[in-house]
Amino acid sequence: MKECYILFPNHGEGLRLEENLKTYGINYVIVPTPRELSLSCGISIKISLNDRDRVEELIKEKDIRILGIHELDKKNKDIKFI
Amino acid sequence: MGDYRELWRSLEMDLEKHDLLCEALPPLYEGVYLSQENRPQGMSYFNFVVSEVHGLRIQELKEHKEKGGKVLGTFCLYVPDEIINAAGAIGVGLCGGSQFWVPDGEKVLPRNMCPLIKAFVGAKVGRTCPYFQSCDMLVGETTCDGKKKAWEILNEYTPTHVMELPQMKRDADFSLWFQEVKRFKEKLEELTGNKIDGEKLSDSINLINQKRKALKRLYETRKADPVPISGKDALLISQIAFYDDIERFTAKVNELCDELEERVEKGIGVFPKGAPRIMVTGSPMAIPNWKLHHIIEESGAAVVCEETCTGTRYFEKMVEPQGDTERDFLEAIAKRYFNINCACFTPNDQRIDDIIRLAKEYKVDGVIYYNLQFCTTYAVEYGRVEKALKNAGIPLLYIETDYGNEDVGQIKTRIDAFLEMIR
Repeated sequence: MKECYILFPNHGEGLRLEENLKTYGINYVIVPTPRELSLSCGISIKISLNDRDRVEELIKEKDIRILGIHELDKKNKDIKFI
Repeated sequence: MGDYRELWRSLEMDLEKHDLLCEALPPLYEGVYLSQENRPQGMSYFNFVVSEVHGLRIQELKEHKEKGGKVLGTFCLYVPDEIINAAGAIGVGLCGGSQFWVPDGEKVLPRNMCPLIKAFVGAKVGRTCPYFQSCDMLVGETTCDGKKKAWEILNEYTPTHVMELPQMKRDADFSLWFQEVKRFKEKLEELTGNKIDGEKLSDSINLINQKRKALKRLYETRKADPVPISGKDALLISQIAFYDDIERFTAKVNELCDELEERVEKGIGVFPKGAPRIMVTGSPMAIPNWKLHHIIEESGAAVVCEETCTGTRYFEKMVEPQGDTERDFLEAIAKRYFNINCACFTPNDQRIDDIIRLAKEYKVDGVIYYNLQFCTTYAVEYGRVEKALKNAGIPLLYIETDYGNEDVGQIKTRIDAFLEMIR
């Protein structure tokens, strides 16, 4: 199943988008950035693919800086405790 | 998603090795936490904290230090947060909940020790925990033989102050503990250059009581059926309590509680009404140790209470001063901590009373006794708990494990059988 991740230059921009998503009632989840997408660590925001266009518009409108929007095919992997 | 490599480099971390941890955490967190259905929206903040666990908070500690503040690393509930806060220092609970750090720990410790001690020593020796690397001083205590001797090793890396915790609860023991608390206060005054007076103690007591009350409020909601929040989410919050900013944490927990109380009112839960309710008791679970809770909840039961250091023992008792002198405040602090019921005490009948009381309060169907491998005091105390719960008619299962994956299947089979029995 494909999922959509938004990456940010810093957590502050991520929290700004979160505020807006909350205001507009768009579902989101704050997640640790998947390693497939970046070697840096920190937050990303996961949204539904169906909301992608709407969220992209919102990002432009509110002038939120992002590093990119990526679609990732998440396979159900077995959990490995660390 | 800041790039924190420069920050980590400035803390003299082993970046290459630490990178392996950064790689393993996101898929584990996604698998254990983000796969849950109908999670409260208020958990968003805690997702944020975990995602930034080695980033933003470390940055905050660095800024605090640049302004002349001190950072203290602690490993145990008996170290009084009120005194650390009153000295203008920040206390952080240190890394120790992952197998990742164990091999480095085994380089300097015997292998037949509990994984918690091996992990926290390994995190320091291997330079893979940015919290450790940020600490000006570590604060140890004498709660078990393994930890007691580990301080001698850690002291070679970072100055380590050890508080002697007596292991009986007689008046003479309290006097000794009170002296230890006073000695700790003096040590912190010396370290920070800040005088700790009655007013600062009083403010800190209020601040940290507020934090404990917020956690108490969170746990109250877990008494509902259906339960509005999963056990693993509640565990995560308890784990984060050890290192997050106190005021921000308290506000976010209260915000989450507003949502949970609304859920309780509407009968919304994360497990169906009537799902088996489990209490976990025993050894502490440091972040990112989510193994047992995950296995239990994947089997369809809800963990509704933890009688552990990462559970009720952390917040149940408040500091309640009987007067307003500095001595009154210090005495109230010493008393509050001395009354925590850890298996390092003998006898420790109050813990058994706590388990039975909590089992009733949270209406649990069964108790799972969690013992970290080689955690002798809890392992020995199991026998007495078993007898008491048998008399009280409360089903009990004993699980001894470490942080590894090898026994996950076996534990799952045992928990499934246990749930079958109590359903």
